[in-house]
Amino acid sequence: MTDLPDTLLNGIPRPIRLPLLPALTSLVIVLFAWNPVPRLTNIMCSIDSAPALKSITIDNPGWSRLLSSGSSWVDVDRWLSRIAKHAEVAGGFPLTLRRWPEGKSVWEGFLPEFRESGGIIKVDHGGW
Amino acid sequence: MDSIPQELIDSIIDNVPEPSLLSCSLVAKRWRQKSQRRAFDTISFFSEAEVNRWCADIPQDSDGISSYVRHLKIGVIFSWDEPTLLSRIMGSLSSLTTLSMYATGIPDELPGHIWRGEFGKGITTVHLRLPHCTLLTLTSMILSLPNLKELCVERCRDMPEEPPPTYSVTHQRGPLNSLKLFEGVDRIGEALTKLQFTSRRLSLDVGITNIEQLLLLSSETLVELKLCSA
Repeated sequence: MTDLPDTLLNGIPRPIRLPLLPALTSLVIVLFAWNPVPRLTNIMCSIDSAPALKSITIDNPGWSRLLSSGSSWVDVDRWLSRIAKHAEVAGGFPLTLRRWPEGKSVWEGFLPEFRESGGIIKVDHGGW
Repeated sequence: MDSIPQELIDSIIDNVPEPSLLSCSLVAKRWRQKSQRRAFDTISFFSEAEVNRWCADIPQDSDGISSYVRHLKIGVIFSWDEPTLLSRIMGSLSSLTTLSMYATGIPDELPGHIWRGEFGKGITTVHLRLPHCTLLTLTSMILSLPNLKELCVERCRDMPEEPPPTYSVTHQRGPLNSLKLFEGVDRIGEALTKLQFTSRRLSLDVGITNIEQLLLLSSETLVELKLCSA
């Protein structure tokens, strides 16, 4: 059977694999809709090794209020947990959720694999 | 007034609100240069008539007002009746480091003037939003700036269709400090990839078709990465 590209099968681009990013210290993800689109998830997950990475921020400038459990967050959670496991940051790898809704119940239990891997979530409500 | 140390005068002027700077420049001779340097650090034009007036009124001497300008902002001059005007004003600003253009035409002959070294050597930062020009003119301008460190290009939707230019990388340029590409910049992204642009900081719209190539090119130098998802 011919190996068709993913794009033809389901419209989702095949994940890429980036080489080592030796100098990368900071990653900021800006989301204007609640769920990360597959393209964004693919690019994030393609970052396989970034040994100098010190922090990740997920910014929500669109002030999205809806919390839905999409599979894209599961993929992001898995990737974040991998980053947290390999990071050499004392006290746990920090993930900042900037401009996220206030109220613990909204984000409690969010990104469970990342938390189990020693990741630390900081929520910056930034005006909520 | 003469007994006040110049450092104290400079410090006062540093803290004066911008609208008062021109009044400040009239207080005394010793107040003039510092006040004018701050007042004319950034100039903005929103019509060709304003640019014409500046060129006619402001002497282009090497240590006068035009030499104080470091940041030139031009907006909504979609096309130039007199295409040489942009070159003339850029050529008159000897300390120019930053060029911001919003919905403004870039005449085809501008890159040639920069290539010939007539001006633009000091420009380190370029911000282009909704540029009105061909892809070839835009990339030629970017390439012609020898000391460019920060580049931001946004919303190139109005660029005319044209066959993709062919590029040859004539010299290896060092990494930019910052490269930002947002909305409708597929063709710019493709051109910068072919020209092997790298950067220490990348801010990218994840919708850019060849984002992978841009990331791969900068993988060695990349310190900060910002991914924006619409």
